[in-house]
Amino acid sequence: MEKKSLWKKITASREASLVIVLIVMLIVISIFSPSFLSPTNLGQIFRNNTLTMLMALGMLCVMLTAGIDISITSTLAFAGMGIGLLQKYDVIHNTLLLFIIGALIGLACGFLNGLIIAKGKIAPIICTMGFMYIWRGMAYVISNNNWASGQDVSGFSDFGKDGSPGPYIILVIAYVVFFIVMKWTKFGRSIYAVGSNPEAAQISGIKVDRVMIAVYTIMGLLSGLAGVLSVSIYASAQPNMQYGKEMDVIAACVIGGVSMSGGRGSVVGTFLGALIISIIAKALPLVGIDAIAQNLIKGVIIVFVVILNVITQRTMDRQNLLRREM
Amino acid sequence: MAGKSGRTIAATPQTGLKQKLLSLEGALVIIFILINVFGRVLSPNYNLSNVMRESPRYLAEIFMLFGMGFILVLGDIDISVGSIVCLSATIGCLTSNAGLPMGLAILITLLTGLCCGMINGFIATRFTELPTMIVTLGTQIIFRGIAEVSLGSGGSASLKDYEGIGILRAKVGPIPLAFFLIIICAVIFVIVLSRTTFGRHLYAIGSSKTAAQYAGVEVQKIRFFCFTLIGFLAGICGLFILASTYGANTTTGQGFEMEVIAMCVFGGIATTGGKGNLVGAFIASLVIVCLRIALGQINMNTQLILVIIGAMLIISVLVPSFRQRFLTLKKK
Repeated sequence: MEKKSLWKKITASREASLVIVLIVMLIVISIFSPSFLSPTNLGQIFRNNTLTMLMALGMLCVMLTAGIDISITSTLAFAGMGIGLLQKYDVIHNTLLLFIIGALIGLACGFLNGLIIAKGKIAPIICTMGFMYIWRGMAYVISNNNWASGQDVSGFSDFGKDGSPGPYIILVIAYVVFFIVMKWTKFGRSIYAVGSNPEAAQISGIKVDRVMIAVYTIMGLLSGLAGVLSVSIYASAQPNMQYGKEMDVIAACVIGGVSMSGGRGSVVGTFLGALIISIIAKALPLVGIDAIAQNLIKGVIIVFVVILNVITQRTMDRQNLLRREM
Repeated sequence: MAGKSGRTIAATPQTGLKQKLLSLEGALVIIFILINVFGRVLSPNYNLSNVMRESPRYLAEIFMLFGMGFILVLGDIDISVGSIVCLSATIGCLTSNAGLPMGLAILITLLTGLCCGMINGFIATRFTELPTMIVTLGTQIIFRGIAEVSLGSGGSASLKDYEGIGILRAKVGPIPLAFFLIIICAVIFVIVLSRTTFGRHLYAIGSSKTAAQYAGVEVQKIRFFCFTLIGFLAGICGLFILASTYGANTTTGQGFEMEVIAMCVFGGIATTGGKGNLVGAFIASLVIVCLRIALGQINMNTQLILVIIGAMLIISVLVPSFRQRFLTLKKK
């Protein structure tokens, strides 16, 4: 009886089941490759996936309000290209200032998204699809199809170069702040409220429009930051950077248990989802699967996880129903 | 109270000439004419033969427009079509290179698209709790993943048999074969959507799945059929892409899904379902194709064209939304 209730607790909690999946994965991988769990390797995993992990937080907020934002990597490219060019033409070389500028560019892009979605009552996917074209195009236009090379951003790239703690610090701060905000502040709870039932939220005095705008602005801010980080980590700025990676961010959220219909999802779940995706990408070559098959496996896992979700939900509902009948 | 479709008992459709010109389709036709005049004025090279020479790579996309229209009217979405194009072009190219006769390779290409669509449809109808966005996000990665694996480390394959597939590049005068096929498809799909029971069922499902279910519409069967259909159309698109590029690589068809959805939305089909028609979407797709070719002729930066299309997309959905609000304000 005791054991069964523990089992139930685990299967009922999304985070707990994700942790189990993660542990099983890590055990299997370290059997194949004992060096996988070394600090350097784990550090690499976090460093390579800083951008996805950072943007997943914003995507969590957006998806909690039953929205979606597919313009994030275009915002990222626009902000990143912007600060890349500022260095290329020797305007600004101050790291802090560049971070602030990049974040502000992202913030402005996100605010525009939020304004149109909340005030214009446009479907989020359509609005952000428009901006996906616009910001990506703008990134090409302002750069005039040029790159900002490693030499141009040489001083700046010290912040994100291999072994520098910069990206980790930003990631940790972001996750701690979001964890606190989403769990214990009025604003965080109002996001959940808007996602679960907009009408009820409106009636209970939450300004739904403002929450929507705030959510997309946060997403923009994080994309802008990710753009700056991307320039710093990869020591170059190209207009096509991170093309198509928005789907990775969405996938990380979905694996982490964030519901697309809004109102369900947590910061911890998002983190675990992003971590699982990152580890899969890194571990596949180690367990003998060709790097070419990476995307295939990733897709299969996403589909598998979401279907599993539905099936467990169905069995849970059925069991609840049975219990009530008795 | 107006429903999702905006129809009320009081607001019966009006069919005056003025009403027609003021409707979205009328506006689109005017934009279409304007763009053509504009293109002609800007560049002397913007003439029929040049447009037709540039058109095949855009025309292939339009095949998927009709399927996407159905899917969006249903209130679903399919973002895996770009990957289906990639996979079917890849499989077609590889089977032809393996020595199969071209006819068989073409058939396999189409079947690949069909199967991909069936997989989408199967998951979407079996697990109705899942938003189709998620389902097709997953299959999008899977289909492109399969193409990547079959293309191997090189990441691209080129067609050895140039001749066999030449029939798809056949032209009548300056007009490519694909154009005629698209016109035929347009006529069929427009009639099916607006004049048949099946078409009306799509609107019913898009407005309310539950209500349609209770009214005896076989919701899941129809959804399965539509996903299969768009898979098949993506297969056709893949075939024409293969014919015009003589090969496939891992980035074939990337971003097609968004372009096709953008055309539909620009043509007045709402992503929330139950609203819009294919006439608008088809004219909108021609507008976008002509715009791209015209701007390409004056050597405008291709990326700047993206900015313009993005802006057009947002404005095209914002205007009706504000107009609606303005009208309701006036009534009060």
